[in-house]
Amino acid sequence: MLVNVPGPWSPLLGRLALSEIPYTNPILAPLFVVIVLAGIALVAAITYYGKWGYLWKEWFTTVDHKKLGVMYIILGLVMLFRGFIDGLMMRTQQMLAVGPGDNGMKAMGAIHGYLTPFHFGQIYSAHGLIMILLAATPLLVGIMNIIVPLQIGARDMAYPYLNALGLWITAAAVFLIMISLFVGDFSHNGWFGYAPIFELAYSPGVGVDYWIWTLELVALGTTLGSINFLATVVKMRAPGMTWSRLPIFTWSAVSANIIALTSFPCLQVALALVGADRYLGTHFFTAGFGGNLMLYTNLFWLWGHPEVYFVILPAFGMISEIIPAFSEKPIFGYTAMVLATFAIAGVSWIVWLHHFFTMGMGPYVSTEFSIATMLVGIPTGVKVFNWAATMYKGRLTFSAAMLWAIGALFLLLIGGLTGMMLSIPAVNYMVHNSVFVVAHFHMMLLCIVYAVFGAVIFWFPKVFGFKLNEAWGKIMFWLFSAGTFLVFFPMFMLGFMGETRRLDWPFDPHWAVWFDVQEIGIVVYVLSVLAFLWMIYVSIRDRAHHRVGADAWGTSRSLEWLTDSPVPFYNYAMVPHINARDEAAWRREHGFSQSRPDHFAAIHMPNNTGVAVYIGALTFVIGFGLTWRIWWLTVAALILTVLIMIYRSGKGDPGYVISAEEMEKLDRESRQNMSDGQQHLPKGGGYTGGTVTAYSAAASDQRPQGTPPGNSRPLS
Amino acid sequence: MSHGHSNPIEHPEVQMASRGSYLTGFIIASLLMLAATILVSGQVLAPFPLLLTIMGCAGLAAIAQIYFLLHIDISEHNIWNTVALVMFIPLFVITIGLTWWMFSQLYLRTMPMIPGMPGMH
Repeated sequence: MLVNVPGPWSPLLGRLALSEIPYTNPILAPLFVVIVLAGIALVAAITYYGKWGYLWKEWFTTVDHKKLGVMYIILGLVMLFRGFIDGLMMRTQQMLAVGPGDNGMKAMGAIHGYLTPFHFGQIYSAHGLIMILLAATPLLVGIMNIIVPLQIGARDMAYPYLNALGLWITAAAVFLIMISLFVGDFSHNGWFGYAPIFELAYSPGVGVDYWIWTLELVALGTTLGSINFLATVVKMRAPGMTWSRLPIFTWSAVSANIIALTSFPCLQVALALVGADRYLGTHFFTAGFGGNLMLYTNLFWLWGHPEVYFVILPAFGMISEIIPAFSEKPIFGYTAMVLATFAIAGVSWIVWLHHFFTMGMGPYVSTEFSIATMLVGIPTGVKVFNWAATMYKGRLTFSAAMLWAIGALFLLLIGGLTGMMLSIPAVNYMVHNSVFVVAHFHMMLLCIVYAVFGAVIFWFPKVFGFKLNEAWGKIMFWLFSAGTFLVFFPMFMLGFMGETRRLDWPFDPHWAVWFDVQEIGIVVYVLSVLAFLWMIYVSIRDRAHHRVGADAWGTSRSLEWLTDSPVPFYNYAMVPHINARDEAAWRREHGFSQSRPDHFAAIHMPNNTGVAVYIGALTFVIGFGLTWRIWWLTVAALILTVLIMIYRSGKGDPGYVISAEEMEKLDRESRQNMSDGQQHLPKGGGYTGGTVTAYSAAASDQRPQGTPPGNSRPLS
Repeated sequence: MSHGHSNPIEHPEVQMASRGSYLTGFIIASLLMLAATILVSGQVLAPFPLLLTIMGCAGLAAIAQIYFLLHIDISEHNIWNTVALVMFIPLFVITIGLTWWMFSQLYLRTMPMIPGMPGMH
């Protein structure tokens, strides 16, 4: 070992010891028991119903972009819940701990509230890391994974196996951060880390190491994914899908993945240097020996700010798909929208310093970054006006997905305006590191969450063939919005009242009432989580009544609504020829929406492979071994990974061919399956009941197959 | 797969790759790293010239990796690599340039001068 770690170390187990398992912690120990019991129940249920083979063949080893996307989304939702529980614990701690004096629960070992400062520090660090990188990013990558190939008329991603690899490496990162709950502890220095507190001398435990390797793994997975997305959109577009016909969501995916590809390496380098400091004894980020503390902050935000736009741009893309569909109009200002997307992406590289305006680099530098930050408001404003103009004089339907999209616009407005305030260095000096900043970026991230829920409701019928329950989707929306209002508006006020972020003990009794309001907000959020789960349950229970045809909403616009719902594994029986920007709307308006391919051709599909699962598992072992400094395990897993990669590269994947006759049969079955689910439905079609809107080029001779949501607005 | 069944070995990107160029790139990058390490650990130069020298090594290593390992150049048959190069230059200027400017301004205000550095008081 190059550095002397405090505490015991053995060649076999590294720093791992029984004492590292927090079985005396009154929160973690019961949680551990519950999770173990739930895990045993799950394994027992899968075994009892004999589903292991199904799970392995159909899901774990799949290279199908839709299934990988679904698994990404499930992973993201689970982590969203974990991050939410962290938030709930923080809010409860601050509510209990507020005020002067000694008000802690002695049984928990806390002087204030119910958490010790060390535990509280781990919770806010995990909350931030999880929400941004393990909840928002997988949710967005998952939706892009499903929708981008469908929107460009591709059979799969350019590199199906690489896609699976990205998922399983991200899953390895999730497992690594989850295991830090029960083995050792997690980092306590914030989700982005501060030099020099993460140096070994000041954080001797394994928490920072867990943090480093979780981030490294998720950065690796996302970089691989971004290469795949770019190659897919550049190379795999259907004939006729020119760049000027690309759907806005795909454009936003392109811009976001350019940012991801160029910025994630910065994060990996920054963390590799932290790793060098902690494992090799270098001094990149210490004050002595020529190191520089702020260099870390600089390198981190060099990635961090592009990452922020990497998560917001796909959300903008989702809003841009939902609003036209429920306004029954094409998107207003397509070209301006695409240019605005790329302007935001371009500006994202030159604003990172606004995360540390208070560093002390003087007025000239601050001015440049301040102006650059304000520039972001221009393309974002263009987008907001475009969405508003799309809705203007449209035939609006306030379905659940539309409510989420419009809600996202309100959050964007609040988050954007407070962002403009924060872009002024003078303001920034006043509220730096206060909860005002925290409230600001929660507005922006919740804008993403709103867009994601809207997108999940919007595209769910495409992937699964039936709609989610509209009423419960709306109930969840209003509960979630009430929770957002109650938690984050007091937070803006507390920021102005001088509350700094990450306080385990908010000492000022004047803040108490706002903490109580925030706690009520958290309770409302809990109700919205229950409404979400109930929505899923009700929708699956009543799925037979909510089956949909190819065009699930009747007013959908882009290419993905042409193929069957649920999307067959080959996506399109024949690769479609693209005639217009909004292909589904164009075909509906010209009476081609019912037309089927008149001939079929043999297609080539990739084989499933377990290699991605094995490599994902091995990367988890590498991360775990590095965290606990078990060198033999790390080296063994690394060598095994390389050997598996060489084996896979040598073998390649010849794929398999589905003959034309077989394709015809599969297509007939898929079509039959879809229309069987529709027999009970009246042939009404869409919100307009098949009427010609002002924007139709011509009347449709065939009624669209869409079904109205359960309680849509009656047409006047 | 919508692309043909053509042999991937025949793709121009793959054709450009050769064992020789990978080895050359690897050896050049390793030698530059070794040189920088020896210079720093032996403290062969004064701090500021040392800083400039290892920066020069890093720049040469970056160019060697881009050319020999990533095969990014401005030849016509490799249009996407050229696009990547065009993308790389402004990003390089932004990240390194703005960081340099930011830290030079910071050091002017907060740090003692590095021995051997011109223009600092």
